[in-house]
Amino acid sequence: MRLNDWQLAFERYLLSESSTADVELGPSLIGGPTLDVSTGLAIYHNAYQARLQEVLRGDYPAILNWLGDEEFERLAAAYLRQNPSAHYSLRWLGKGFEAFIRQHLVPEQSAPLAELAALEWAFTLAFDAPPGTPLTMQHMAILAPEDWPTLQVSPSPSLQWLECAFNSVALWRSIKDATQFPGSTALDSPSVLVIWRNELVCQYRSLETLETKALKGMFERDWNFAELCSELTVICGEGAPLQAVTWLKQWIHDGWLQRR
Amino acid sequence: MSASLPCLGYGLGLRSAYYQQILDQSPAVDWFEVVSENFMVRGGKALYYLDAIAERYPLVMHGVSLSIGGSHALDPGYLQQLKLLADRVKPAWISDHLCWSRGNAHQLHDLLPLPYTEESLHYVVDRVRQVQDVLQRPLVLENVSSYVRSAGDKFSEWEFLHALSLLSDCELLLDVNNVYVSSRNHDFDPWTFIQGLPANKIRQLHLAGHSDYGDYVIDTHDHPVSDPVWALYQRTLDYLGPVATLLERDDHFPPFDELFAELQKARELGEGVLARRQKCA
Repeated sequence: MRLNDWQLAFERYLLSESSTADVELGPSLIGGPTLDVSTGLAIYHNAYQARLQEVLRGDYPAILNWLGDEEFERLAAAYLRQNPSAHYSLRWLGKGFEAFIRQHLVPEQSAPLAELAALEWAFTLAFDAPPGTPLTMQHMAILAPEDWPTLQVSPSPSLQWLECAFNSVALWRSIKDATQFPGSTALDSPSVLVIWRNELVCQYRSLETLETKALKGMFERDWNFAELCSELTVICGEGAPLQAVTWLKQWIHDGWLQRR
Repeated sequence: MSASLPCLGYGLGLRSAYYQQILDQSPAVDWFEVVSENFMVRGGKALYYLDAIAERYPLVMHGVSLSIGGSHALDPGYLQQLKLLADRVKPAWISDHLCWSRGNAHQLHDLLPLPYTEESLHYVVDRVRQVQDVLQRPLVLENVSSYVRSAGDKFSEWEFLHALSLLSDCELLLDVNNVYVSSRNHDFDPWTFIQGLPANKIRQLHLAGHSDYGDYVIDTHDHPVSDPVWALYQRTLDYLGPVATLLERDDHFPPFDELFAELQKARELGEGVLARRQKCA
Protein backbone atom coordinates (compact mmCIF):
# COMPACT_ATOMS: atom_id res chain seq x y z
CA MET A 1 0.00 0.00 0.00
CA ARG A 2 1.29 3.47 -0.86
CA LEU A 3 2.09 5.86 2.02
CA ASN A 4 -0.91 8.08 1.29
CA ASP A 5 -3.38 5.19 1.06
CA TRP A 6 -2.01 3.59 4.21
CA GLN A 7 -2.32 6.82 6.18
CA LEU A 8 -5.84 7.38 4.86
CA ALA A 9 -6.87 3.93 6.04
CA PHE A 10 -5.22 4.56 9.42
CA GLU A 11 -6.99 7.90 9.77
CA ARG A 12 -10.37 6.37 8.90
CA TYR A 13 -9.77 3.73 11.55
CA LEU A 14 -8.85 6.25 14.27
CA LEU A 15 -11.90 8.37 13.54
CA SER A 16 -14.29 5.43 13.42
CA GLU A 17 -16.55 4.70 16.37
CA SER A 18 -15.37 1.12 16.77
CA SER A 19 -11.84 0.13 17.70
CA THR A 20 -12.18 -3.06 15.64
CA ALA A 21 -9.60 -2.99 12.87
CA ASP A 22 -11.02 -2.70 9.40
CA VAL A 23 -10.32 -5.20 6.67
CA GLU A 24 -8.26 -2.74 4.69
CA LEU A 25 -5.84 -1.69 7.41
CA GLY A 26 -5.37 -4.92 9.39
CA PRO A 27 -3.48 -6.95 6.77
CA SER A 28 -1.06 -4.07 6.13
CA LEU A 29 0.24 -4.29 9.69
CA ILE A 30 2.15 -6.66 11.87
CA GLY A 31 2.25 -6.89 15.64
CA GLY A 32 4.66 -8.69 17.93
CA PRO A 33 4.75 -12.09 19.59
CA THR A 34 2.55 -10.92 22.48
CA LEU A 35 0.94 -7.84 20.94
CA ASP A 36 -1.41 -8.71 18.10
CA VAL A 37 -2.38 -6.15 15.46
CA SER A 38 -5.91 -5.58 16.75
CA THR A 39 -4.66 -4.86 20.28
CA GLY A 40 -1.92 -2.58 18.93
CA LEU A 41 -4.44 -0.69 16.82
CA ALA A 42 -6.86 -0.44 19.74
CA ILE A 43 -4.11 1.26 21.78
CA TYR A 44 -3.97 4.02 19.15
CA HIS A 45 -7.76 4.19 18.86
CA ASN A 46 -8.27 4.47 22.62
CA ALA A 47 -5.47 7.01 22.97
CA TYR A 48 -6.99 9.20 20.25
CA GLN A 49 -10.42 9.24 21.88
CA ALA A 50 -9.06 9.60 25.42
CA ARG A 51 -6.73 12.47 24.52
CA LEU A 52 -9.43 14.53 22.85
CA GLN A 53 -12.00 13.81 25.54
CA GLU A 54 -9.48 14.91 28.16
CA VAL A 55 -8.96 18.23 26.40
CA LEU A 56 -12.71 18.92 26.32
CA ARG A 57 -13.05 17.95 29.97
CA GLY A 58 -10.33 20.45 30.77
CA ASP A 59 -11.91 23.24 28.72
CA TYR A 60 -15.46 22.64 29.97
CA PRO A 61 -15.32 21.62 33.64
CA ALA A 62 -18.68 23.20 34.48
CA ILE A 63 -20.44 21.37 31.62
CA LEU A 64 -18.75 18.17 32.80
CA ASN A 65 -19.97 18.75 36.33
CA TRP A 66 -23.47 19.47 35.13
CA LEU A 67 -23.78 16.43 32.86
CA GLY A 68 -21.65 13.95 34.79
CA ASP A 69 -18.92 11.74 33.30
CA GLU A 70 -21.02 9.46 31.12
CA GLU A 71 -23.32 12.04 29.57
CA PHE A 72 -20.40 14.39 28.97
CA GLU A 73 -18.46 11.62 27.27
CA ARG A 74 -21.39 10.86 24.97
CA LEU A 75 -21.86 14.53 24.09
CA ALA A 76 -18.12 15.04 23.55
CA ALA A 77 -17.90 11.91 21.39
CA ALA A 78 -20.77 13.16 19.22
CA TYR A 79 -19.05 16.55 18.97
CA LEU A 80 -15.75 14.97 17.96
CA ARG A 81 -17.41 12.82 15.31
CA GLN A 82 -18.90 15.92 13.75
CA ASN A 83 -15.90 18.18 14.44
CA PRO A 84 -12.65 16.21 14.25
CA SER A 85 -9.66 18.34 15.20
CA ALA A 86 -8.66 20.72 12.44
CA HIS A 87 -5.93 22.69 14.22
CA TYR A 88 -2.44 21.51 15.06
CA SER A 89 -2.93 22.74 18.62
CA LEU A 90 -5.44 21.03 20.88
CA ARG A 91 -6.00 24.51 22.31
CA TRP A 92 -8.66 25.00 19.63
CA LEU A 93 -10.39 21.62 19.80
CA GLY A 94 -13.35 22.93 21.80
CA LYS A 95 -13.98 25.99 19.65
CA GLY A 96 -17.23 24.73 18.16
CA PHE A 97 -18.66 23.06 21.27
CA GLU A 98 -21.22 25.77 22.03
CA ALA A 99 -22.53 25.80 18.46
CA PHE A 100 -22.65 22.01 18.45
CA ILE A 101 -24.68 21.93 21.66
CA ARG A 102 -27.18 24.39 20.19
CA GLN A 103 -27.59 22.27 17.11
CA HIS A 104 -27.39 18.82 18.70
CA LEU A 105 -29.83 19.16 21.60
CA VAL A 106 -33.44 20.30 21.77
CA PRO A 107 -33.70 24.05 22.56
CA GLU A 108 -34.95 23.62 26.15
CA GLN A 109 -31.85 21.59 26.93
CA SER A 110 -29.41 23.36 24.69
CA ALA A 111 -29.98 27.01 25.60
CA PRO A 112 -28.62 26.99 29.19
CA LEU A 113 -25.96 24.38 28.40
CA ALA A 114 -24.73 26.28 25.34
CA GLU A 115 -24.61 29.52 27.30
CA LEU A 116 -22.45 27.86 29.95
CA ALA A 117 -20.22 26.46 27.19
CA ALA A 118 -19.88 29.96 25.73
CA LEU A 119 -18.90 31.27 29.15
CA GLU A 120 -16.24 28.60 29.67
CA TRP A 121 -14.85 29.13 26.18
CA ALA A 122 -14.75 32.90 26.75
CA PHE A 123 -12.47 32.32 29.73
CA THR A 124 -10.09 30.29 27.55
CA LEU A 125 -10.04 33.12 25.00
CA ALA A 126 -9.29 35.73 27.66
CA PHE A 127 -6.62 33.48 29.18
CA ASP A 128 -4.23 33.52 26.24
CA ALA A 129 -5.35 36.57 24.25
CA PRO A 130 -2.61 38.96 23.13
CA PRO A 131 -1.82 41.61 25.73
CA GLY A 132 -2.57 44.51 23.39
CA THR A 133 -1.73 48.03 24.52
CA PRO A 134 -4.28 48.88 27.20
CA LEU A 135 -5.01 52.51 27.87
CA THR A 136 -3.64 53.44 31.32
CA MET A 137 -4.22 56.24 33.82
CA GLN A 138 -0.76 57.48 32.88
CA HIS A 139 -1.90 57.83 29.27
CA MET A 140 -4.95 59.76 30.43
CA ALA A 141 -2.90 62.03 32.67
CA ILE A 142 -1.00 63.34 29.68
CA LEU A 143 -3.99 63.50 27.32
CA ALA A 144 -4.34 67.12 26.19
CA PRO A 145 -7.68 68.72 27.20
CA GLU A 146 -8.57 69.33 23.58
CA ASP A 147 -8.18 65.58 22.83
CA TRP A 148 -10.73 64.44 25.43
CA PRO A 149 -13.89 65.06 23.38
CA THR A 150 -12.62 63.08 20.40
CA LEU A 151 -11.16 60.19 22.43
CA GLN A 152 -12.26 56.89 20.90
CA VAL A 153 -11.57 53.46 22.32
CA SER A 154 -11.76 49.82 21.30
CA PRO A 155 -11.89 46.72 23.50
CA SER A 156 -8.63 45.19 24.71
CA PRO A 157 -7.92 41.87 22.96
CA SER A 158 -8.78 39.76 26.01
CA LEU A 159 -12.21 41.35 26.58
CA GLN A 160 -15.05 38.86 26.03
CA TRP A 161 -18.68 39.82 26.03
CA LEU A 162 -21.48 37.42 26.89
CA GLU A 163 -25.23 38.02 27.09
CA CYS A 164 -26.64 35.70 29.75
CA ALA A 165 -30.24 34.59 29.99
CA PHE A 166 -29.46 31.95 32.63
CA ASN A 167 -27.54 31.76 35.91
CA SER A 168 -24.44 30.49 34.10
CA VAL A 169 -22.10 32.56 36.25
CA ALA A 170 -23.45 30.93 39.41
CA LEU A 171 -23.05 27.47 37.85
CA TRP A 172 -19.48 28.24 36.79
CA ARG A 173 -18.68 29.80 40.17
CA SER A 174 -19.89 26.72 42.03
CA ILE A 175 -17.24 24.63 40.25
CA LYS A 176 -14.51 27.14 41.05
CA ASP A 177 -15.57 27.28 44.70
CA ALA A 178 -16.27 23.55 44.94
CA THR A 179 -19.71 24.32 46.34
CA GLN A 180 -23.00 22.61 45.62
CA PHE A 181 -24.14 22.90 42.00
CA PRO A 182 -27.10 25.29 42.23
CA GLY A 183 -29.08 24.01 39.24
CA SER A 184 -29.85 25.97 36.11
CA THR A 185 -32.46 28.71 36.19
CA ALA A 186 -33.44 31.49 33.81
CA LEU A 187 -32.60 35.03 34.95
CA ASP A 188 -35.47 37.47 35.51
CA SER A 189 -33.89 39.68 32.89
CA PRO A 190 -30.86 39.02 30.68
CA SER A 191 -27.55 40.51 31.78
CA VAL A 192 -24.21 41.12 30.14
CA LEU A 193 -21.12 39.44 31.51
CA VAL A 194 -17.68 40.75 30.69
CA ILE A 195 -14.67 38.46 30.98
CA TRP A 196 -11.14 39.75 30.61
CA ARG A 197 -7.54 39.22 31.65
CA ASN A 198 -5.84 41.84 33.76
CA GLU A 199 -2.08 41.18 33.69
CA LEU A 200 -2.16 37.37 34.03
CA VAL A 201 -5.40 36.89 35.93
CA CYS A 202 -8.79 36.30 34.29
CA GLN A 203 -11.64 38.28 35.84
CA TYR A 204 -15.35 38.78 35.20
CA ARG A 205 -18.07 41.27 36.02
CA SER A 206 -21.76 41.65 35.23
CA LEU A 207 -22.78 44.99 33.73
CA GLU A 208 -25.84 47.10 34.46
CA THR A 209 -28.00 48.04 31.47
CA LEU A 210 -26.78 51.62 31.25
CA GLU A 211 -23.11 50.69 31.47
CA THR A 212 -23.69 48.06 28.79
CA LYS A 213 -25.25 50.68 26.54
CA ALA A 214 -22.36 53.06 27.14
CA LEU A 215 -19.70 50.45 26.37
CA LYS A 216 -21.52 49.14 23.31
CA GLY A 217 -21.84 52.67 22.05
CA MET A 218 -18.12 53.23 22.28
CA PHE A 219 -17.12 49.83 20.90
CA GLU A 220 -19.79 49.19 18.29
CA ARG A 221 -21.14 52.63 17.33
CA ASP A 222 -17.80 54.44 17.45
CA TRP A 223 -18.90 57.04 19.99
CA ASN A 224 -16.16 59.35 21.14
CA PHE A 225 -16.06 60.66 24.69
CA ALA A 226 -18.15 63.73 23.85
CA GLU A 227 -20.81 61.55 22.22
CA LEU A 228 -20.83 59.26 25.26
CA CYS A 229 -21.49 62.26 27.51
CA SER A 230 -24.15 63.51 25.16
CA GLU A 231 -25.95 60.13 25.05
CA LEU A 232 -25.81 59.85 28.83
CA THR A 233 -27.31 63.31 29.29
CA VAL A 234 -30.70 61.92 28.23
CA ILE A 235 -30.66 59.63 31.26
CA CYS A 236 -28.27 61.21 33.74
CA GLY A 237 -28.91 64.88 33.00
CA GLU A 238 -26.16 67.17 34.30
CA GLY A 239 -24.45 64.24 35.99
CA ALA A 240 -23.61 62.67 32.60
CA PRO A 241 -19.98 63.84 32.36
CA LEU A 242 -19.28 62.69 35.92
CA GLN A 243 -20.84 59.27 35.22
CA ALA A 244 -18.86 58.98 31.97
CA VAL A 245 -15.57 59.83 33.72
CA THR A 246 -16.32 57.40 36.56
CA TRP A 247 -16.91 54.55 34.12
CA LEU A 248 -13.96 55.48 31.97
CA LYS A 249 -11.71 55.39 35.01
CA GLN A 250 -13.05 51.96 36.02
CA TRP A 251 -12.70 50.54 32.50
CA ILE A 252 -9.16 51.82 32.25
CA HIS A 253 -8.30 50.47 35.69
CA ASP A 254 -9.58 47.03 34.62
CA GLY A 255 -7.58 47.18 31.39
CA TRP A 256 -10.61 46.96 29.08
CA LEU A 257 -9.74 49.74 26.68
CA GLN A 258 -7.29 50.47 23.94
CA ARG A 259 -7.07 53.84 22.22
CA ARG A 260 -8.13 53.81 18.61
CA MET B 1 32.36 5.47 19.95
CA SER B 2 31.63 9.01 21.04
CA ALA B 3 29.00 11.58 20.24
CA SER B 4 30.52 14.84 19.07
CA LEU B 5 27.70 17.33 19.59
CA PRO B 6 27.86 19.74 22.56
CA CYS B 7 26.09 18.54 25.69
CA LEU B 8 23.68 20.70 27.71
CA GLY B 9 23.67 18.40 30.74
CA TYR B 10 20.58 17.17 32.58
CA GLY B 11 17.21 18.80 31.92
CA LEU B 12 13.50 18.54 32.62
CA GLY B 13 10.42 18.91 30.46
CA LEU B 14 8.89 22.28 31.36
CA ARG B 15 5.26 21.75 32.40
CA SER B 16 2.79 24.32 33.70
CA ALA B 17 2.39 22.51 37.02
CA TYR B 18 5.94 23.55 37.89
CA TYR B 19 6.25 27.07 36.41
CA GLN B 20 5.96 29.04 39.64
CA GLN B 21 8.13 26.70 41.67
CA ILE B 22 10.88 26.94 39.09
CA LEU B 23 10.80 30.73 39.27
CA ASP B 24 10.61 30.74 43.07
CA GLN B 25 13.34 28.21 43.70
CA SER B 26 15.63 28.33 40.65
CA PRO B 27 16.34 24.59 40.97
CA ALA B 28 19.68 23.21 39.80
CA VAL B 29 18.35 21.94 36.48
CA ASP B 30 20.77 22.46 33.59
CA TRP B 31 18.11 23.16 30.99
CA PHE B 32 14.42 22.81 30.18
CA GLU B 33 12.65 21.40 27.15
CA VAL B 34 9.40 23.14 26.17
CA VAL B 35 6.59 21.64 24.09
CA SER B 36 6.50 24.09 21.20
CA GLU B 37 2.72 23.98 20.62
CA ASN B 38 2.01 24.96 24.24
CA PHE B 39 3.54 28.35 23.54
CA MET B 40 2.03 29.03 20.12
CA VAL B 41 -0.37 31.47 21.76
CA ARG B 42 -0.48 35.23 21.65
CA GLY B 43 -0.38 36.13 25.33
CA GLY B 44 -1.08 35.10 28.90
CA LYS B 45 0.58 32.98 31.51
CA ALA B 46 2.34 30.50 29.25
CA LEU B 47 4.36 33.17 27.44
CA TYR B 48 5.01 35.07 30.66
CA TYR B 49 6.57 32.02 32.30
CA LEU B 50 8.35 31.03 29.11
CA ASP B 51 10.10 34.39 28.91
CA ALA B 52 10.93 34.43 32.62
CA ILE B 53 12.36 30.91 32.60
CA ALA B 54 14.25 31.57 29.34
CA GLU B 55 16.10 34.37 31.14
CA ARG B 56 17.48 31.86 33.64
CA TYR B 57 17.90 28.56 31.81
CA PRO B 58 18.85 27.29 28.37
CA LEU B 59 15.76 26.04 26.54
CA VAL B 60 15.14 23.50 23.81
CA MET B 61 11.96 23.39 21.73
CA HIS B 62 10.25 20.03 21.27
CA GLY B 63 7.24 19.83 18.95
CA VAL B 64 4.51 17.25 18.49
CA SER B 65 2.62 18.55 15.45
CA LEU B 66 5.11 18.90 12.62
CA SER B 67 3.92 15.59 11.13
CA ILE B 68 7.11 15.22 9.13
CA GLY B 69 5.92 11.90 7.69
CA GLY B 70 2.34 12.92 6.95
CA SER B 71 1.19 12.61 3.37
CA HIS B 72 -0.35 16.10 3.53
CA ALA B 73 1.59 19.21 2.52
CA LEU B 74 3.70 20.77 5.28
CA ASP B 75 1.65 23.44 7.05
CA PRO B 76 3.22 26.85 6.32
CA GLY B 77 1.22 28.42 9.16
CA TYR B 78 2.63 25.93 11.63
CA LEU B 79 6.18 26.42 10.37
CA GLN B 80 5.78 30.18 10.65
CA GLN B 81 4.63 29.86 14.26
CA LEU B 82 7.53 27.52 14.98
CA LYS B 83 9.99 30.00 13.53
CA LEU B 84 8.42 32.90 15.45
CA LEU B 85 8.66 30.94 18.67
CA ALA B 86 12.27 30.02 17.93
CA ASP B 87 13.07 33.69 17.40
CA ARG B 88 11.58 34.41 20.82
CA VAL B 89 13.04 31.47 22.75
CA LYS B 90 16.40 31.16 20.99
CA PRO B 91 16.45 27.43 21.71
CA ALA B 92 19.65 25.40 21.72
CA TRP B 93 17.90 23.19 19.14
CA ILE B 94 14.44 22.29 17.82
CA SER B 95 13.10 18.78 17.79
CA ASP B 96 10.01 16.83 16.79
CA HIS B 97 9.28 13.18 16.04
CA LEU B 98 9.80 10.80 13.16
CA CYS B 99 6.11 10.13 12.75
CA TRP B 100 2.93 11.45 11.24
CA SER B 101 0.35 13.18 13.40
CA ARG B 102 -2.03 14.63 10.84
CA GLY B 103 -4.22 12.76 8.42
CA ASN B 104 -5.53 13.87 5.10
CA ALA B 105 -8.27 16.01 6.58
CA HIS B 106 -7.81 16.04 10.34
CA GLN B 107 -5.27 16.42 13.08
CA LEU B 108 -4.80 13.11 14.85
CA HIS B 109 -2.70 14.39 17.77
CA ASP B 110 -0.69 11.22 18.11
CA LEU B 111 2.82 10.16 17.14
CA LEU B 112 1.93 7.54 14.54
CA PRO B 113 4.55 5.20 13.11
CA LEU B 114 5.62 5.36 9.49
CA PRO B 115 6.13 2.49 7.09
CA TYR B 116 9.91 2.22 6.79
CA THR B 117 10.15 2.01 3.02
CA GLU B 118 12.16 3.66 0.25
CA GLU B 119 9.09 5.75 -0.58
CA SER B 120 8.81 7.03 3.00
CA LEU B 121 12.53 7.65 3.28
CA HIS B 122 12.77 9.87 0.21
CA TYR B 123 9.53 11.60 1.12
CA VAL B 124 10.68 12.41 4.66
CA VAL B 125 14.20 13.43 3.56
CA ASP B 126 12.68 16.00 1.24
CA ARG B 127 10.39 17.36 3.94
CA VAL B 128 13.17 17.54 6.53
CA ARG B 129 15.15 19.65 4.10
CA GLN B 130 12.17 21.97 3.62
CA VAL B 131 11.78 22.41 7.38
CA GLN B 132 15.49 22.98 7.86
CA ASP B 133 15.38 25.65 5.15
CA VAL B 134 12.66 27.47 7.10
CA LEU B 135 14.28 27.07 10.50
CA GLN B 136 17.81 27.64 9.21
CA ARG B 137 19.17 24.91 11.46
CA PRO B 138 19.23 21.13 11.64
CA LEU B 139 15.97 19.53 12.71
CA VAL B 140 16.31 16.98 15.53
CA LEU B 141 14.00 13.97 15.17
CA GLU B 142 12.96 11.51 17.86
CA ASN B 143 12.17 7.81 17.56
CA VAL B 144 8.60 7.09 18.73
CA SER B 145 7.07 4.22 20.67
CA SER B 146 4.90 2.01 18.50
CA TYR B 147 2.24 -0.67 18.87
CA VAL B 148 1.93 -1.86 15.27
CA ARG B 149 4.37 -1.93 12.36
CA SER B 150 3.79 -1.77 8.67
CA ALA B 151 3.93 -5.18 7.03
CA GLY B 152 5.64 -3.54 4.08
CA ASP B 153 8.72 -2.31 6.01
CA LYS B 154 11.93 -2.59 4.03
CA PHE B 155 14.11 -1.12 6.81
CA SER B 156 14.24 -1.48 10.54
CA GLU B 157 13.39 1.73 12.41
CA TRP B 158 17.05 2.32 13.29
CA GLU B 159 18.17 1.73 9.71
CA PHE B 160 15.58 4.25 8.59
CA LEU B 161 16.71 6.84 11.18
CA HIS B 162 20.33 6.25 10.22
CA ALA B 163 19.67 6.75 6.52
CA LEU B 164 17.42 9.73 7.19
CA SER B 165 20.04 11.56 9.25
CA LEU B 166 22.73 10.93 6.64
CA LEU B 167 20.58 11.96 3.68
CA SER B 168 18.93 15.00 5.24
CA ASP B 169 21.57 16.11 7.75
CA CYS B 170 19.01 16.04 10.51
CA GLU B 171 20.09 15.14 14.02
CA LEU B 172 18.53 12.60 16.34
CA LEU B 173 16.81 12.62 19.68
CA LEU B 174 17.18 9.12 21.05
CA ASP B 175 14.32 8.33 23.40
CA VAL B 176 15.69 5.44 25.41
CA ASN B 177 12.29 4.65 26.89
CA ASN B 178 10.70 4.53 23.44
CA VAL B 179 13.37 2.11 22.26
CA TYR B 180 12.61 -0.11 25.24
CA VAL B 181 8.82 0.13 24.76
CA SER B 182 8.99 -0.70 21.05
CA SER B 183 11.55 -3.47 21.64
CA ARG B 184 9.13 -5.18 24.01
CA ASN B 185 6.16 -4.70 21.69
CA HIS B 186 7.95 -5.83 18.53
CA ASP B 187 10.47 -8.21 20.03
CA PHE B 188 13.77 -6.72 18.91
CA ASP B 189 17.03 -6.16 20.79
CA PRO B 190 17.04 -2.54 22.06
CA TRP B 191 20.81 -2.47 21.98
CA THR B 192 20.83 -3.39 18.30
CA PHE B 193 18.57 -0.36 17.76
CA ILE B 194 20.87 2.03 19.61
CA GLN B 195 24.05 0.71 18.02
CA GLY B 196 22.39 1.03 14.65
CA LEU B 197 22.12 4.80 14.92
CA PRO B 198 24.87 7.20 13.84
CA ALA B 199 26.37 8.15 17.23
CA ASN B 200 27.70 11.49 16.03
CA LYS B 201 24.18 12.60 15.09
CA ILE B 202 22.59 12.03 18.50
CA ARG B 203 21.90 15.44 19.95
CA GLN B 204 19.79 14.47 22.95
CA LEU B 205 18.40 11.58 25.00
CA HIS B 206 14.93 11.27 26.49
CA LEU B 207 14.03 9.36 29.63
CA ALA B 208 10.43 8.72 30.71
CA GLY B 209 8.23 6.18 32.38
CA HIS B 210 5.86 3.70 30.78
CA SER B 211 3.05 1.33 31.76
CA ASP B 212 3.91 -2.35 31.55
CA TYR B 213 0.93 -4.62 30.86
CA GLY B 214 2.98 -7.80 30.64
CA ASP B 215 2.19 -8.71 27.04
CA TYR B 216 2.86 -5.18 25.87
CA VAL B 217 4.14 -1.82 27.09
CA ILE B 218 2.57 1.62 26.57
CA ASP B 219 4.56 4.84 26.58
CA THR B 220 2.49 6.81 29.11
CA HIS B 221 4.99 9.25 30.67
CA ASP B 222 3.07 8.94 33.92
CA HIS B 223 5.47 6.83 35.97
CA PRO B 224 9.07 7.13 37.10
CA VAL B 225 11.69 5.69 34.74
CA SER B 226 11.78 1.87 35.00
CA ASP B 227 14.85 -0.14 35.96
CA PRO B 228 15.38 -1.69 32.49
CA VAL B 229 15.31 1.82 30.98
CA TRP B 230 17.83 3.10 33.55
CA ALA B 231 20.08 0.18 32.61
CA LEU B 232 19.70 0.89 28.90
CA TYR B 233 20.39 4.59 29.56
CA GLN B 234 23.66 3.84 31.32
CA ARG B 235 24.78 1.51 28.58
CA THR B 236 23.86 4.15 26.00
CA LEU B 237 25.88 6.87 27.74
CA ASP B 238 28.81 4.49 28.09
CA TYR B 239 28.62 3.95 24.36
CA LEU B 240 28.03 7.56 23.30
CA GLY B 241 29.81 9.66 25.91
CA PRO B 242 28.22 12.88 27.18
CA VAL B 243 24.82 13.61 25.59
CA ALA B 244 22.16 16.03 26.85
CA THR B 245 19.62 14.07 28.90
CA LEU B 246 16.02 15.09 29.42
CA LEU B 247 13.53 13.61 31.86
CA GLU B 248 9.88 13.82 30.70
CA ARG B 249 6.70 13.58 32.74
CA ASP B 250 3.31 14.32 31.17
CA ASP B 251 0.75 12.92 33.58
CA HIS B 252 0.33 12.07 37.27
CA PHE B 253 2.66 14.94 38.04
CA PRO B 254 4.52 14.33 41.28
CA PRO B 255 5.65 17.17 43.57
CA PHE B 256 8.52 19.00 41.91
CA ASP B 257 11.02 17.76 44.48
CA GLU B 258 10.19 14.19 43.53
CA LEU B 259 10.76 14.85 39.85
CA PHE B 260 13.93 16.76 40.64
CA ALA B 261 15.18 13.77 42.70
CA GLU B 262 14.59 11.54 39.66
CA LEU B 263 16.61 13.94 37.53
CA GLN B 264 19.36 13.82 40.15
CA LYS B 265 19.31 10.05 39.80
CA ALA B 266 19.87 10.45 36.06
CA ARG B 267 22.72 12.85 36.79
CA GLU B 268 24.38 10.53 39.30
CA LEU B 269 24.05 7.49 37.06
CA GLY B 270 25.22 9.45 34.04
CA GLU B 271 28.19 11.02 35.77
CA GLY B 272 29.16 7.64 37.21
CA VAL B 273 29.13 6.06 33.76
CA LEU B 274 31.07 8.92 32.21
CA ALA B 275 33.68 8.93 35.00
CA ARG B 276 34.28 5.18 34.59
CA ARG B 277 34.38 5.63 30.86
CA GLN B 278 36.99 8.38 31.21
CA LYS B 279 39.17 6.17 33.41
CA CYS B 280 39.09 3.35 30.90
CA ALA B 281 39.89 5.61 27.97
